Amino acid sequence: MSPVKMTARGVNVYYGDNHALRDVSVDILDKTVTAFIGPSGCGKSTFLRCLNRMNDTIPTARVEGSITLDGQDIHDPAVDPVQLRARVGMVFQKPNPFPKSIYDNVAYGPRIHGLARDRAELDAIVERALTRAALWNEVKDRLSSPGTGLSGGQQQRLCIARAIATSPEVLLMDEPCSALDPIATAQIEELIDELRQTYSLVIVTHSMQQAARVSQKTAFFHMGQLVEQGDTTKIFTNPSDRRTQDYITGRFG
Amino acid sequence: MSPHIVSAFDEDLRAITARIAEMGGLAEELLTTALEAVETRDSDMAEQVILRDKRLDRLEHEVDDLCVRVIALRQPMAQDLRLVVAALKMSTVLERIGDLSKNIAKRSKALAQAQRINLSGSVVRMGQQTLRLLNEVLDAFSSRDVALAVSVWRRDIEIDEFYNSLFRELVTYMMEEPRIIGLGSQLLFIAKNLERIGDHTTHIAELVYWIVEGEPLGDDRPKGAPVSMDGILG
Amino acid sequence: MTDAAAAPRPIDWADPRLLVRVRRRHGRDAWLRAAGLTALGLAVLMLAILVGALLYNGWAAFTQTHVTLEFEISPQRVKPEDPGAGNFRAIVQEAVYGLFPEVTSRRDRRELMEMISSGAPYLLRDRVMADPGLIGRSLRMAVPVSDPFDQLAKGLIDRNTPESRRRVSDAAMARFDRLVAMGLVSRPLNVGLITNADSRFPELAGLKGALWGSFYALLVCFLISFPVGIAAAIYLEEFAPRNRWTDLIEININNLAAVPSVVFGLLALAVFLGWFGLPRSAPLVGGMTLALMTLPTIIIATRAAIKAVPPSIREAALGLGASRHQVVFDHVLPLAMPGILTGTIIGLAQALGETAPLLLIGMNAFITQAPDGVMSPATALPTQIFIWADSPERGFVSRTAAAICVLLLFLVAMNATAIYLRRRFAKQW
Repeated sequence: MSPVKMTARGVNVYYGDNHALRDVSVDILDKTVTAFIGPSGCGKSTFLRCLNRMNDTIPTARVEGSITLDGQDIHDPAVDPVQLRARVGMVFQKPNPFPKSIYDNVAYGPRIHGLARDRAELDAIVERALTRAALWNEVKDRLSSPGTGLSGGQQQRLCIARAIATSPEVLLMDEPCSALDPIATAQIEELIDELRQTYSLVIVTHSMQQAARVSQKTAFFHMGQLVEQGDTTKIFTNPSDRRTQDYITGRFG
Repeated sequence: MSPHIVSAFDEDLRAITARIAEMGGLAEELLTTALEAVETRDSDMAEQVILRDKRLDRLEHEVDDLCVRVIALRQPMAQDLRLVVAALKMSTVLERIGDLSKNIAKRSKALAQAQRINLSGSVVRMGQQTLRLLNEVLDAFSSRDVALAVSVWRRDIEIDEFYNSLFRELVTYMMEEPRIIGLGSQLLFIAKNLERIGDHTTHIAELVYWIVEGEPLGDDRPKGAPVSMDGILG
Repeated sequence: MTDAAAAPRPIDWADPRLLVRVRRRHGRDAWLRAAGLTALGLAVLMLAILVGALLYNGWAAFTQTHVTLEFEISPQRVKPEDPGAGNFRAIVQEAVYGLFPEVTSRRDRRELMEMISSGAPYLLRDRVMADPGLIGRSLRMAVPVSDPFDQLAKGLIDRNTPESRRRVSDAAMARFDRLVAMGLVSRPLNVGLITNADSRFPELAGLKGALWGSFYALLVCFLISFPVGIAAAIYLEEFAPRNRWTDLIEININNLAAVPSVVFGLLALAVFLGWFGLPRSAPLVGGMTLALMTLPTIIIATRAAIKAVPPSIREAALGLGASRHQVVFDHVLPLAMPGILTGTIIGLAQALGETAPLLLIGMNAFITQAPDGVMSPATALPTQIFIWADSPERGFVSRTAAAICVLLLFLVAMNATAIYLRRRFAKQW
């Protein structure tokens, strides 16, 4: 069993008067893929965005409860959200490369955090990130062409490369394949499985098959609550809660 | 359980359940007819069983096709998945029950040629007990009645014990009257077939439990001890 | 559910009533197209009439009739030690009288001198001052004729009108024709329209002062409104909380864009001239006033451009751990820049054509020198047009039209630049 990387205890999120997330407690294990599933608006993305304090960027959002990374509370004044987001990287639903070159896309994170001492080191970081994201062979000859010129699946892998270029410990993925075709999706899923050797991954997905395929742990959210969490096999073959069962068998009204 | 959002999925699952129910009904019918053939020494009935069993084989293939289609097209999860997988297994089990019934019917034709003996009545009684359990377990399946399924599962020991006593009786009888060894062996095989049907029935009970509860029925089922020959031959 | 709903009546698509409807709908489509085309045609026609009228009125001002004279720069009239104080008027008179020896009476000679622009002595003086070596030599130089003869040369004075109702007498006309016959009259391109400052005499009046005045005013306007506008827009879009105060500010900015420009003029008059005591007619004040007007345009355009940057780009940067300023300067501003520049140029183009506020701060003064900085008095293109349109001299009519053409040319150039920038730098995402 992998050690616990992040813990959430009694997390509540409010958007203005809207109580979006109610009393959620989850453990995110190291070197494990944790999937968050649930119907739209159930709070799974909201919770994901709590893990790297992206909700801080929404003025009306208020987060309560404790979330720790390696035992340290991420809301502690000693933790800077800017550095936290380098340690807890994020990949978004729609591939969103910057309208810059492929190289600059990947180099952006290391540059702003000052992770490379010189150009050679930066080159090495970029190559390593692109290689890990299984994109290096496809783009090594055109690093200076715009990242937006790649195909959808390549763009998403570029975004993953960009996220892992800052050597994060946890990688959050918010429906990373929802805009991709099945082949690109399979490539990303293969990549997720690869990355599991190094990182702790959390993936929000609407595709239950995808959650079943890539994750080892699954958490089911419904109406802002965490209904059930546990081993993916257990959740998808024999969930304990009636709501989970109804959702994964396609019975939700 | 509430219906699926995709109603065609419900229809597919209903179709599978209906086929299994039909197979169950047919298997019951085959066993009933076979037992009647044993009892009445009616070889026409026995012939009928042999013919009807073909229909059961066809149904088995239909269920298999349906299940494969549902898995491929609808990706069932949790209870739905268990139902489909259980249906795959049940179709095989029910087909086996049909085969065993057919075998009983075939043997009944041989019995009809020979003299009538008392013990064939005991075999028929054992068969009726088996038939009752099969009947109940199929009810348990169609109503997802776990309690009934568990009760069937527990009562299989009755069949086992019935078989053991029949075995003793038959062997003793054959030892005393070597002339009927041929006839006795036929009855022994029929009893063995019934005992197998009883085992298949418990298997169905286990599947019903698994569909509903999602976990296997424990391994502590009361079982009859294998028959010891010592007491008889001793 | 009723039976009718259960079994819908089959639709007969060939039903004549339905066909009539289809025809009517097509008819309306055609009508809408025709209406749009007519409106567009009308707009193009109006524009053509406007530009046509301007060119028709203004073409005369693009050339200027000159007469080439032989000037004797004698040392008696122009002292080499102080050429500026020379009697150039007498030199011009001598040159003109020399061409018409038969004219002797004072009255006729005065009429003769009226043929030449009163600015001729000054042109001669400037020429000699630039090159004192000319003193003691004779100089052939083309000087502008006065306005009535310029009109005459361009055929704008009808020779068949009775002499009493004509600005040029028969005798003067005859003398001018003689100059033409002698080949001394030429009509070169009117470079003076751009290189001369304003003048009482239409044949000498140019736009140099107005062009520089507009340039300085726009420079000041740009330097103030561009950074301030962008900073304000960035704050409002990226940092400001959404509450009643920011809503109020937003409404007021939008209102500001709709405030009549003359109000800004009054404000500038009261604040910049009244309280701050800045000089009247200075491009600095004009630029500051125009900046007030341009600011809302730039803020609105910048906000729209910033809003158009997809939030996914911001999220991507934030998700990598970029701070707010890095998000703004590394991603949002570069992507919004084409939109910002477009808005700015359109705002500046508006400012270039703005007249009312400049009138109120005195940028419609009569100034015969181009400004040498933002503090020296100047006019601007639109106010210069205003001044000329107000002038009684016949020659200013065509000059006004010509000046409008110049102004329009600048506006078109600026808008074209805006379109070019938008096309050139628009990024795909």
